[in-house]
Amino acid sequence: MIRIQPDAWREMVAHALATYPHECCGAMLGSIEDGRKTVHIALSLENASEGERERHYELRPADLLRADKEARDRNLDLVGIYHSHPDCDAYFSTTDLKNSCPWYSFVVLSIRNGAFDHANSWLPDAEQTKAEHEELTY
Amino acid sequence: MAKVLIPTPLRQYAGKQDSVELSGATVGEVLSALTAQYRDLRAQLYNDAGKLRSFVNVYLNDEDIRYLQKDATPVKDGDTVSIVPSIAGGAPVVAATPAEPATAGLSKDELLRYDRHLIMPEVGMEGQLKLKAAKVLLVGAGGLGAPLGLYLAAAGVGRIGIVDFDVVDLSNLQRQVIHGTGDVGRKKLDSAAGRMREINPHVAVVKHEVALSSENALDIFKDYDIVIDGTDNFPTRYLVNDACVLLGKPNVYGSIFRFEGQATVFAYQGGPCYRCLYPEPPPPGLVPSCAEGGVLGILPGTIGLIQATETVKLILGIGEPLVGRLLLYDALAMRFRELKLRKNPECPVCGEHPTVTRLIDYQQFCGIPSQPAAEAAIEGDIDPVEVKAKIDRHDPFLLIDVREPHEYQIGNIPYARLIPLGELPKRLNELNPADEIVAHCKSGMRSAKAVALLKQAGFRKVRNMKGGILAWSDKVDPSVQKY
Repeated sequence: MIRIQPDAWREMVAHALATYPHECCGAMLGSIEDGRKTVHIALSLENASEGERERHYELRPADLLRADKEARDRNLDLVGIYHSHPDCDAYFSTTDLKNSCPWYSFVVLSIRNGAFDHANSWLPDAEQTKAEHEELTY
Repeated sequence: MAKVLIPTPLRQYAGKQDSVELSGATVGEVLSALTAQYRDLRAQLYNDAGKLRSFVNVYLNDEDIRYLQKDATPVKDGDTVSIVPSIAGGAPVVAATPAEPATAGLSKDELLRYDRHLIMPEVGMEGQLKLKAAKVLLVGAGGLGAPLGLYLAAAGVGRIGIVDFDVVDLSNLQRQVIHGTGDVGRKKLDSAAGRMREINPHVAVVKHEVALSSENALDIFKDYDIVIDGTDNFPTRYLVNDACVLLGKPNVYGSIFRFEGQATVFAYQGGPCYRCLYPEPPPPGLVPSCAEGGVLGILPGTIGLIQATETVKLILGIGEPLVGRLLLYDALAMRFRELKLRKNPECPVCGEHPTVTRLIDYQQFCGIPSQPAAEAAIEGDIDPVEVKAKIDRHDPFLLIDVREPHEYQIGNIPYARLIPLGELPKRLNELNPADEIVAHCKSGMRSAKAVALLKQAGFRKVRNMKGGILAWSDKVDPSVQKY
């Protein structure tokens, strides 16, 4: 289960709308208690994909390293990654799965015609074969 | 002692610590010490084969160890080792666009038709729907395009685009099995599309009747998930490659020559591209095309079906794609070999600092004279009848035949001197730039290249005999055997 605090949520949606029709991506910093994740801060990161950014995103490991340091400095944890699907459902695509990592929650925001539509959170497995739906509140 | 930073989700396997101090001379030793101390961590970081999981990157301070000395990277006191996952993704390559939801079911006819797919768990209903939602572009409806078109249509790939502007010729039928004898003279696009619809009416075949160019490639490619290169020339191959890299689309590559073929998947999920393998094109005329060098008719069947297999695997997301591996096939030895391909960090199009960021003039890149020069060469064409007249008048001129010796044996013009195109660059010293020279081959294609090559070398009075020995046989001497 993952809960995104209002400020962080506003930040994420604003980021996704600002980059539309390209995909956005970022890190979610927060805390974990009894397996429940709470996101306090959304850290927007650059989509480093050199391909078609309308349909693809890539996080630079160095940016992720920076996000992890940022979390440590604020006494928070890096708990998840978010990205947007412009004009497409918020499901975990094969591309998402094949480039995922089982350690984090993956929140996907569906943006349709430049407006927020819906969002889902996913927990991929270590073999990158499937992702479980995670309860998301915001 | 080095400090290893543990990512949040892994701390439960590392005594709940956010960092661990360990000793070791190299990154490899530090990681071994870490997983020896925390055994559960090992399964998180390494797969069953003992290799770091694909999504795990290791950094020493702020450098990825892949670009240092990997596991052997030395570690100093006070260094920090970080474990960083690599993360990417995006809306699906095989996209469920709002207009055509992938959840649309299969009709009764389709359920029966695809039964042998549906009963395999690796494909199943989900996979068959992915095939139906997939959009695949074939560049070329020739030797490779023929088996690709037939099998991809049969497999139920929902939308298949074909780029071609050629017509079916009798000499195509030895290998281009998608066309029949009755199709000779018909547009390849119409012939192929008709045959594919006959095989599977559920497939939408989209015809692109154009010569692929830097002006139209991105526009055509953008509507497809996967591009399959079935071309037979270098400019188009580089064009297909660059357009695929720029759009982030996989390029399923195949090439054939005589008895040998190659296949691989370029530009897929960070893998190498065609330019990583061949940064520069060969000099024009050095590598003969199939029209010049010949090809075993069955060969494109084998290679095209390897491309078709890889395409279907990419769509289904199953198996191990042919990425970073160049598959070489030798029909005479009946042997497959595999070469490792690496992404070139200096690659001008997919490297770290790309210099090719949009499509360029590929004719020029491959050293082929641009349009005006080619037109000038056409102006310089000479008709076989005129050549015959020059011979009869004893005009001082040199006639060179740039075909291969075995073609010369089939039929020739006795007056001509044989210099195969491939040998021409080395044998320029046999020719005098002051002489008038006429070049001929079988149909006029190779001799046009010879003329361009001679002009580049400073020969000025060079002309191409229009229509080659075929036209000679038609217009001058029917006793010369056609082939």
